[in-house]
Amino acid sequence: MKTEVSFTLNAGVVVAELAGHELLIDLLRDRFGLTGTKEGCGQGECGACTVLVDGRAVNSCIYPALEVEGRQVVTIEGLLGPGNDLAAIQRAFVEHGGIQCGFCSPGMILSARALLDRIADPSEEQIREALVGNLCRCTGYVQIVESVRKAAEAMRSGGSGGGGA
Amino acid sequence: MTEPGGTQRPPAPAGCGEKGDPRLAPRYDYHRPRTLDEAWSLRSSVEGSRYVCGGTDLIVRMRSGRESPRALISLRSLPELTGISMGEATEIGAATTFTDLLEHPALCARYPVLAQAARRIGCPQIRNVATIGGNLCNAIPCADSATALIVLDATLRARSPRRKRDIPVAEFFLGPRQTCLRAEEVLTSILLRPPAPTGAGIFLKATRVYRDLALASVAVFLEIGPDGRSCRKARVAAGSVSPVPLRLRSVESLFESEGISPETVSRAKGMAREAIVPISDVRASADYRRHLTGVLLGRAVETLANRERA
Repeated sequence: MKTEVSFTLNAGVVVAELAGHELLIDLLRDRFGLTGTKEGCGQGECGACTVLVDGRAVNSCIYPALEVEGRQVVTIEGLLGPGNDLAAIQRAFVEHGGIQCGFCSPGMILSARALLDRIADPSEEQIREALVGNLCRCTGYVQIVESVRKAAEAMRSGGSGGGGA
Repeated sequence: MTEPGGTQRPPAPAGCGEKGDPRLAPRYDYHRPRTLDEAWSLRSSVEGSRYVCGGTDLIVRMRSGRESPRALISLRSLPELTGISMGEATEIGAATTFTDLLEHPALCARYPVLAQAARRIGCPQIRNVATIGGNLCNAIPCADSATALIVLDATLRARSPRRKRDIPVAEFFLGPRQTCLRAEEVLTSILLRPPAPTGAGIFLKATRVYRDLALASVAVFLEIGPDGRSCRKARVAAGSVSPVPLRLRSVESLFESEGISPETVSRAKGMAREAIVPISDVRASADYRRHLTGVLLGRAVETLANRERA
């Protein structure tokens, strides 16, 4: 049994025909080629598969794809600005050592983005609380928290939060 | 099977998803009814079907082969299950996510104990999807919302095509992953009375790392008299330490009859350790859970009593 869903994916409206058991991560990676979204644990624990649905971070590895009907989905690719320029938050991660192996980065950055969309000047505690569902095995988190803080500063002083979202 | 974009997918091996390989998604149908009527009729007509709301636990269990319903019926977008209304009483739609709940300032101000429990559930990604009704119907002993709702004397409203019934939350759970709901019945909302102005509640949870299921949790609601010692009403519940989220009636009667003092708190801790039946598992031993429950109970009551004196 296939069902058609229509939703906003990054900048545009898309349509896909889906079987009931398909998960959002597979829809994004296999159908739309958006492989920036990573599958780590496949159990909603590690946060590598985090994407934004209606502005909220969700684990796409346990999110039924059919539930995106009529919603707005943003992946890491959706943060890029015109000419594929990195968004302020992506640049901050690159410049402040928030990225090492890079596997957790797309999810980490989207969780941070969801935070900064709600709270422009978060405390360290708020940053850590917002990222508690994203595991990183490289950085020890210090540089990641620093990257989010720097991104918040850059975005407050008028830097681009990125496109799409 | 050719997907749009021309990619070829190999056919799934026979028995895919039944052997517990999390990489191989199990096959099932997924229905998104628009009304409660439609949900009921799907549940009775689709063989091997189950209700699901946020699915943050069920889908993980299905991916690892621990459960394999043939079809899921999503209650996520049912109008009958959404929204929070606060009048004389408060009604929380069962499909309310924990994030929605935490972003409702009036609700959190009226029921801080519920907000404290909601805040400690999962992580943002989970709270954005997981629902209060799902947490209750999933009925695991560590369900954080359950202990908070027990001490608030919450009532759960369930509806089936034939009737509507209200169930006190402490009677809702029959065992691990087992509730008193019948096949087609749907938990539609949680009802809360306004708390007494003199009452205060607290939820405490001990975890191995900050974000984890509870090793043990305790929720307490007390109406302490102006003398700071007498107790007009006590509600105490413990999580993760018995087959169901457990109301500790013996502890409640002790506080109500003898008041709050270092001596009654110490006896209450002993009674709580007696009343619970924890298991040993990967997270903690039964002995440690018993110890933790006493510690959390003591801390919870002392915090509320000190707040009253302040």
